[in-house]
Amino acid sequence: MSRLRTALPAVAVAAAVLALPLFVHDRYLLKVLSYVGIDVVVVLGLALLFGFAGQISLGQAAFFGIGAYTSGVLVAVHGWPWVAGVAAAVAASAAAGALLALPVGRLRGHYLAMATLGFSEIALVAFTELKGLTGGTDGLSGIPYPALGPFAARTPGANYVLVWGVAAVAYVVAANVVALRPGRALRALHGSENGAQACGIDVGRTKVVAFSAAAGLAGLGGALYAHLVGFISPGSFTLELSILLVAMIALGGMGSLPGAVLGAVLLGMLPYLDAVVPGLPKSAVEVLQSWEADIYGLVLILVMLFMPRGIAGALRRLRRERGGER
Amino acid sequence: MSLLSAHGLTRRFGGLVAVDDVSLEVFEGTILALIGPNGAGKSTLFNLLTAFDRPNAGTVVFDGRDLAGMPPHRVVRLGLARTFQNTQLFEEMTALENVLTGAHTQTRTGWARAALRLPGTGREERLAREEAQRLLRLVGLAEVAHVHASDLPHGTRRLLEVARALASRPRLLLLDEPAAGLNNAETEQLARVLRQLRDGGVTLVVVEHDMGLVMDVSDEIVVLNEGRKIAEGPPLLIQKDPAVIAAYLGEEQLDA
Repeated sequence: MSRLRTALPAVAVAAAVLALPLFVHDRYLLKVLSYVGIDVVVVLGLALLFGFAGQISLGQAAFFGIGAYTSGVLVAVHGWPWVAGVAAAVAASAAAGALLALPVGRLRGHYLAMATLGFSEIALVAFTELKGLTGGTDGLSGIPYPALGPFAARTPGANYVLVWGVAAVAYVVAANVVALRPGRALRALHGSENGAQACGIDVGRTKVVAFSAAAGLAGLGGALYAHLVGFISPGSFTLELSILLVAMIALGGMGSLPGAVLGAVLLGMLPYLDAVVPGLPKSAVEVLQSWEADIYGLVLILVMLFMPRGIAGALRRLRRERGGER
Repeated sequence: MSLLSAHGLTRRFGGLVAVDDVSLEVFEGTILALIGPNGAGKSTLFNLLTAFDRPNAGTVVFDGRDLAGMPPHRVVRLGLARTFQNTQLFEEMTALENVLTGAHTQTRTGWARAALRLPGTGREERLAREEAQRLLRLVGLAEVAHVHASDLPHGTRRLLEVARALASRPRLLLLDEPAAGLNNAETEQLARVLRQLRDGGVTLVVVEHDMGLVMDVSDEIVVLNEGRKIAEGPPLLIQKDPAVIAAYLGEEQLDA
């Protein structure tokens, strides 16, 4: 009973988010929000790996790309059903994450950042050069819309519901993980690896699982993206995306799932601000979009300087200070 | 019966022999204190006994099992827990969460079970929380269960680390300078907890500088100096041992 009551606000939020297309018929806005929903799925994975376990990855774009190409190629070229393509995308990216973690799991901090960045660049070259598979710089087109048997998600509204439905499930799964034993193991890794070992936590294995889970969610996001847009090319899987994802975590706050979602929504909406601000002049939108990467960089710098624990951290401190005054 | 036995442990760092051919036995249901002047090799030996470090020579056998090549997290599973000289708490977690994390080996919920909240996960979590609360009460920290570790004062942090180690239900608990930085009241609380644990069936090894505490609680003392074992025996004999007095001369008087 009490669990139902505590879950009620979350269920209400989820229902409101999913019901949005009933009231909003702006196709552009729904499309933008679908992209933001994909960002949320990907960033939830990074929240587990970086926000909770403290393992930075500048390689999430690579897993996003592996997911996108896996499902894109299997469904568009080999005629697999959409569900099978997405499942294969998750499996492939999760496996790639685990394989990457085996060697780089030994690294920490800057070294880990550099190694994952290197992996991202290798993947980018592979996407470009494996022309027979990926179409190279010309990209891969004709990726069909998501479809389950006779039901296909062809409209922006349907895609929106699909993406945010997946995001909601991913959120619940991530929230369950962090609330229980595996989540404590992740946070222990961040806190003190010696302490974690002294608690009987297999540090190496936990890192592999965390990398794999984060990569799997990135791959899931990539697969959703491929079928939503219908066309993918290496330009969508660059370091810029990886940095954007890290910026989303930094802005939202380490160790907080709501924070990660908030960071994804705020930064994900930024280049498409005109979708929610009707009167915004075209020139302002152009500036936002052409300076996108710089704005993210600036946000990252400002957050690190003035709010190093992000929005969630600032709120947490506020609450703790209030509690202390009692 | 001997629960832990070390034979001929040697650990070299470059040209320095930090631990030199040390053997010792820890008997079930006792408190063994490991003492010696600064730089005697206590912490190095401690790391060898808990598999956090590997010896260049010698063996450690816990409960009939050779620990050679075993990763530290697996040693915890066998029932051998430790604390650290520099506390290794999870700062962003509350005291309660720290202890819950210590129960990692005593709980089973994995990623898939947690993600889907399968039946049984809630029950396991509830039982683990009750046990964690009990351990916090045992070390006198029930009041601060929901305070973040980073906000706790030094002495409290050491006791919290003891509670976290106990959460793994160890048969042997090794404490690295548990009384360092504790005030008198906290040291007394610690001594009380240590005796209570021993009487409850936990065997203890304590590296300690506080001679009052050592003489007060230990059944057996091993004295190290310059990496070698120079004496072992019950507190009353150790206090009178000429080699021990010589090693400590100018360091600290051995009057309890």
